[in-house]
Amino acid sequence: MGRRHTPLRFLVVEDEALLAMDLGMMIEDAGHHVVAEAGCLREVQGLDVGIAPDVAFVDLHLAEGSSGLDVCAHIKQNWGDAIIVFVTANPRKLRVDHPGAHGVIAKPFSRNGIMSALRYITEGICDPPPSASTPPDFTAFPALAATWKD
Amino acid sequence: MKQRDDWHLTGDIEHESGRGDPFAAAIRATRMPMVITDPRLPDNPIVFANEAFQNLTGYGREEIIGRNCRFLQGPETDEGAVATLREAIAGENAVQIDILNYRKDGSKFWNALYLSPTRGVDGDVQFFFASQLDVTDRIEAQRQITEQKEIVEVEVQKRTLALKEALQAKTLLLHEVDHRVKNNLTMIGSLLRLQSRQIGDPAISSKLDAMLERVDALATVHRRLYQSDDITRFDVGAFTANLVADVIGASGRTDIKVDADVEELEIPSSKASALGLIINELVTNAVKHAFANGRSGTLHVFARAIDGRAILRISDDGLGMPKADTLVDGLGRTLVARLSRQVGGTTSWHGATSGTTVTIDLPAGG
Ligand SMILES: Cc1cc2nc3c(=O)[nH]c(=O)nc-3n(C[C@H](O)[C@H](O)[C@H](O)COP(=O)(O)O)c2cc1C
Ligand SMILES: Nc1ncnc2c1ncn2[C@@H]1O[C@H](COP(=O)(O)OP(=O)(O)OP(=O)(O)O)[C@@H](O)[C@H]1O
Ligand SMILES: [Mg+2]
Repeated sequence: MGRRHTPLRFLVVEDEALLAMDLGMMIEDAGHHVVAEAGCLREVQGLDVGIAPDVAFVDLHLAEGSSGLDVCAHIKQNWGDAIIVFVTANPRKLRVDHPGAHGVIAKPFSRNGIMSALRYITEGICDPPPSASTPPDFTAFPALAATWKD
Repeated sequence: MKQRDDWHLTGDIEHESGRGDPFAAAIRATRMPMVITDPRLPDNPIVFANEAFQNLTGYGREEIIGRNCRFLQGPETDEGAVATLREAIAGENAVQIDILNYRKDGSKFWNALYLSPTRGVDGDVQFFFASQLDVTDRIEAQRQITEQKEIVEVEVQKRTLALKEALQAKTLLLHEVDHRVKNNLTMIGSLLRLQSRQIGDPAISSKLDAMLERVDALATVHRRLYQSDDITRFDVGAFTANLVADVIGASGRTDIKVDADVEELEIPSSKASALGLIINELVTNAVKHAFANGRSGTLHVFARAIDGRAILRISDDGLGMPKADTLVDGLGRTLVARLSRQVGGTTSWHGATSGTTVTIDLPAGG
């Protein structure tokens, strides 16, 4: 995986329209691009493979009864280099070694919490390792630090 | 074999002898059943049994004298108790035991048996002496108590199980409600953020942003509460560290250093929201006012329980508070004052040119 540069390409998978918009705008505020939004697994499966996201924010409970875990598997298969961060009200349902997952942000999130997490993730991708310590609202999984090695 | 009356006349007992002996008369007449056996005769037979013993067992004197006491035992007599007696007698020791015995008519009774050897001057055992007390009532009462206790224990276990299940159902419900509150808080925050970017006027927009931070602080309180194991307590120390890191982190103000000296500081969760808001006001004030215009510095955060009080301190080495005559209170300081009163605490402001220190002091318990 080659070193990437800002602006990073984001995929937002969230079924709550308001939250998706809000997340999208904070991502843009942090200087990145949202290349696609989706509210359920089906929509993710319908995305053009060419969008090649660097980071995906994924909710656990999605529309049409679909699961963020399946979305995670789909992303891992199609865009193997994407950093997948779950954004969920049930962070405890996730295992830190879930295949493809790099971390989790707990809901309800705050602007400050998201912005710190974005700053940390950006540094981790573009200029690893991050200079700051892990922000309190972001739980990094071991898979994230593993990407800094190459 | 005839009842012997000479057991008390042995040379070793130095008192007046004969039928008029007051000791012998006492033992004959007492209502306490008593027997005396002679271990020097084969199988340690009874040589004396008083009236009370005859009344207790229903046997006549002729049926008693010359027999070993085990004739009182029956099918339900405990083998272990018999063995205890056997060992005590063989070892020439006194012994006390409750043993199940049978009367002549076959009825059972609990016998609180006490027996002991009687030694002559030479130290040899001359007789065994025993008293038997019918304690059937006591044993029966005890048995009933034990039975009742068992019934109660089973009942208590049943109730505990039912309560546990009820608690589980309640916890589940609470988590569901929590989940919804959390989702709504997230939506309110998002709505405010979306509105804020539509506003052209920077003054109004900054007010809205301040409001947003308050909602976010509440969201953070709620998230921490929900994730903790004990939803009745709130660790305001960890929360403060969390909030400070978030606010400073998101501000991008790498020139503001944080020096956190926080320990676990638990307060009742009913006070969590109020304290969350207070701390939010103090921290955002420091970033906005103390370290205004790019002034760098350190934000000291202190949280500790001292003598049953929760002490929280936020201090900066920034510009310092304006002079009293130029100070204009905004919503922030008003909120801090009202909310600290609500949680039964006090807030003291110490403004100096070297910076501002705010201390919150409230009872840590209920
Ligand atoms: C003085 C004396 C009084 C005794 N009283 C009784 C009695 O009231 N009830 C009883 O069951 N056993 C009584 N015993 C115990 C029995 O006589 C006998 O020692 C016991 O059953 C153990 O011996 P074994 O295993 O040879 O039967 C008494 C023993 C002595 C020496
Ligand atoms: N840590 C601080 N250092 C210097 N000045 C401060 C500090 N905290 C508060 N002040 C002063 O006190 C004033 C009142 O603060 P307050 O929080 O009540 O209102 P505000 O921050 O101006 O507006 P609001 O909180 O309503 O958004 C501030 O305008 C500022 O001048
Ligand atoms: Mg203020």
